[in-house]
Amino acid sequence: MNLEFLIPLLAAAVQSGTPILYATLGEIFTEKSGILNLGVEGIMMVGALAAFVSAKFFGSPILAFLIGGCAGAFLAGIHGLVCLDFQGNQVVSGLALTILGVGLANYLGTPFIGQAAPGFSPMPLPVLSKIPILGPVFFDHDPLVYTAYLIPPAIWAFFRYTRWGMGMRAVGEYPRAASAAGLRATGYRWAGVLVGGYLVGFGGAYLSLAYTHLWTNGLSAGRGWIAIALVIFAFWHPGRAVIGAYLFGGVMALQLRLQASGTHIPSSLLLMLPYALTVIVLVLSSWKRQGTEVPSALGINIEPSE
Amino acid sequence: MRRAMFFWVFICVFAWGVALAADTPMKVGFVYVSPIGDAGWSYAHDQGRLGIEAMDGVTTSFVEDVPEGPDSERVMLNMARKNYTLIFATSYGYMDPMLKVAKQFPDIVFMHCSGFKTAKNMGNYFGRMYQARYLSGMVAGAMTKSKILGYVAAFPIPEVIRGINAFALGAQSVNSDVKVRVVWTKTWYDPATEKEAAKSLLDVGADVIAQHQDSPAPQEAAQEKGVYSVGYNSDMSKFAPKSHLCAPIWNWSSFYKEMVEKVRQGTWKSESIWYGLEYGIVDITPMGSMVPEAVQKRVLAKKAEIASGKAKVFVGPIKDQSGKLRIAKGAAADDQELLGMTWFVEGVAGTTQ
Amino acid sequence: MFRFKIKKRQEPLVWSSCLVFLGALSLSLAVSAIMLALQNKPPLTAIVLLFNGAFGSLLAIQDCLIKAVPIFLCSLGVAVAFRLKIWNIGAEGQYALGAIGATWVALRFPDLPWFVVLPGMLAMAFIAGGLWGLIPAVLKLYMRANEIIVTLMFNYLAILLLDYLVYGPWKDPVSFGFPMTREFSTSAIVGKIGHTQLNWGIILCIFSGVAIWIFFKYTRLGYELKASGENINAARYAGLPYHRLVMLVLFLSGALAGWAGFLEASSTINRLQPGIVVGYGYTAIVVAWLARLNPISIGIASFLLAGLRVGLEHLQLDLQVPAAFGGIMEGLILLTVLAGSFFIDYRVSLGKKS
Repeated sequence: MNLEFLIPLLAAAVQSGTPILYATLGEIFTEKSGILNLGVEGIMMVGALAAFVSAKFFGSPILAFLIGGCAGAFLAGIHGLVCLDFQGNQVVSGLALTILGVGLANYLGTPFIGQAAPGFSPMPLPVLSKIPILGPVFFDHDPLVYTAYLIPPAIWAFFRYTRWGMGMRAVGEYPRAASAAGLRATGYRWAGVLVGGYLVGFGGAYLSLAYTHLWTNGLSAGRGWIAIALVIFAFWHPGRAVIGAYLFGGVMALQLRLQASGTHIPSSLLLMLPYALTVIVLVLSSWKRQGTEVPSALGINIEPSE
Repeated sequence: MRRAMFFWVFICVFAWGVALAADTPMKVGFVYVSPIGDAGWSYAHDQGRLGIEAMDGVTTSFVEDVPEGPDSERVMLNMARKNYTLIFATSYGYMDPMLKVAKQFPDIVFMHCSGFKTAKNMGNYFGRMYQARYLSGMVAGAMTKSKILGYVAAFPIPEVIRGINAFALGAQSVNSDVKVRVVWTKTWYDPATEKEAAKSLLDVGADVIAQHQDSPAPQEAAQEKGVYSVGYNSDMSKFAPKSHLCAPIWNWSSFYKEMVEKVRQGTWKSESIWYGLEYGIVDITPMGSMVPEAVQKRVLAKKAEIASGKAKVFVGPIKDQSGKLRIAKGAAADDQELLGMTWFVEGVAGTTQ
Repeated sequence: MFRFKIKKRQEPLVWSSCLVFLGALSLSLAVSAIMLALQNKPPLTAIVLLFNGAFGSLLAIQDCLIKAVPIFLCSLGVAVAFRLKIWNIGAEGQYALGAIGATWVALRFPDLPWFVVLPGMLAMAFIAGGLWGLIPAVLKLYMRANEIIVTLMFNYLAILLLDYLVYGPWKDPVSFGFPMTREFSTSAIVGKIGHTQLNWGIILCIFSGVAIWIFFKYTRLGYELKASGENINAARYAGLPYHRLVMLVLFLSGALAGWAGFLEASSTINRLQPGIVVGYGYTAIVVAWLARLNPISIGIASFLLAGLRVGLEHLQLDLQVPAAFGGIMEGLILLTVLAGSFFIDYRVSLGKKS
């Protein structure tokens, strides 16, 4: 394990962790308001396609990135409609949303397969990228990786210090009490669903604009499910989500690098590494923990008052 | 009297039916393992299907994204029940289900791609992609400076292993101490993972990236790093114009046309077909301008030799990774050995599991 | 100003719920029809084709039943866990492990007669799937690890384990190195019923369904489970053995999914290969909740969903509708049916704004 091996590995960890990080943060935001959205995979796909198509037509990656988010929010809005207005079961609605989103993206995206569109390229930050070790690992990426650094502290501060953030947490924990205190519980939940969907859409957009610059069917390839797992792994804390996403991305990159350096371990066993490690780290970190951080009204609909 | 009338009515209806049957177009069905939008394997087959769709008196249809288990059996059964004349299944795992269905419908012709089982009404077919891979290996071997080639590979099945070996042999034929490093992604199309795999190969010093994957993501990784790449399935140069050396490609169209003609004329018989460069079912794209004239000439000369049968790819002495002699000096591997190849040749780093 | 007034019904609708279901279904079919018309496909023909392909003939119904078997068993399994509010997302992996367990027996004892091998496979699939469910239960109870993430990760691990086995130790020596095990001997194959396409696995489904129904309706343990699921704290105060219940439901849940894996490997593929894992475990979760965890409704829902998927294949074959369109239709149908079930529990009336 010398530095020549380690630095590219850590840099790869950050990059391959970034799409998962966006999605995880989005899902944390949604779940904090008490809505469980299992449609992350579908939302990412639709976000990725929308971003790619907009980049192709408008030529502006930044605009495309934002549109990718909007597409994500739109799809998440369907989940909001079904669960918040029609009291639908959040698990079924989320899973159905995955089926719908993946189908929609693959269906509408077929004409765009094999085409090229503009995207983001690596843009080393002037001074920071010169720092030994930390520089190449954290500050020699595309701009969207840097944007991802800003979101976790923002979410953390939002939930901790702002009135809206505290209101949203209250709705996620005790919706009845929150309503009694005069908060519009449904409104907060709508905000949680839409903003969360927006961030998950970013995760998809990252895949088609920065990670690769192309669109194919099944682009997100299961990353949405990993994000859902990482939300729990992070105990709903944005800071731990960063660790989780980069760790997962890092182990994925590590197993590929082990293969590249000529190991003789069967590839199926190497591929188990990221999943096994997630379980092990989760077990170790939950073991001595008191109480759970899960929003207590997660997945439970607010029944309309008489 | 009444009986006679029935008889005549019957004859008329029968004749009408026969006339109709002669007019009805031949129905050809395809079963694909992935969506045709995978830009790779199934896409290449679908291009072949469009070729026969253009023929007179032939209609085609396909079902895409069919899992290899019981679903594939049902899809083929339904094609057979709907009176398809000829059914192509284009993934290895369809072999047993197709065999089961073929037994139930002896009048329908079944063709299975990449397997080894046949029946009276079921043949199999494949292309000698390894020949084109060998040529692309020659190009890569001539262009590398670090003498390390990277190979992003999908699943450790014989088809892929054979391709890697041919690629390595081709490279070694022009540059004897070239090493090939292999990374398995266990996906056919997951662009992000495939790009990451290519990057991991670049980090261990590879300066040409080849791939057995459907997405062009490894090409992108090579171009970003400023090194060369070898594509697959179709010409991928538009994704990485500066680094794309060449690509071994599929061309199913003429083969499918031939099969349709044979079935239509009643000359089809069950056999195992394994065409190569001579038929054009596999080929290599025109090489990029960065490939020196001399190398291009050498590769094209080799292509002509292989196509004419003068040269073969797997000719001994060939040793495996552990140094054991697998193909004796002067001997050529037969098709059985090629079909079941599960070992890497000397100079390939990686595992075949 | 008028506004909708929403009132919870005293008793949820029973028979009228079919009407609600049909209404929701027609809405989603109408949307799909418009989308089909937009791509110049005949919408009415398409819907007739969809229906005929799924339920229009005896052969079609058999196809659907065969397809419904694994969905039903997995769904029954996860529903058992959901009763106790245990989030078992891991049916996919438990299904894979069941297939692995059954295959082990089939490969290890190819020469024994069927009345020894098949029960052995049945038992091994039950145990293997069950244990794969039990591990998350133990981790949850004694290490406080959340079961959603553990079961989800265990899916990936199980699939990779299956991969490892068929690419490595269990690879068939005569299949030219392709990733599949040897074909099972005839004694390890669940046979077909008479001259139909159906296999005896259907009987296993009926047996499991009835057993689970009786378990929840008539046994003390089943009652305790339901009670604990409705209010965990109250159940704990009442001295119900929560730990044991969690382990029991996750084991049972995994075992049922394991049976699904056994049936797929034995009766339809006759060997183990990576293509056996196709997402039934996730479908099962949708089915279970849509059927409100009721075994009979699960049976109906699995059959209908299987029918939809089979019918969509016909749509692809005859009208060249892309496979992805099937996903759109399935998603739409699920979402509208779900949203429609609102009217089963609530009464909506137009009233004056107060």
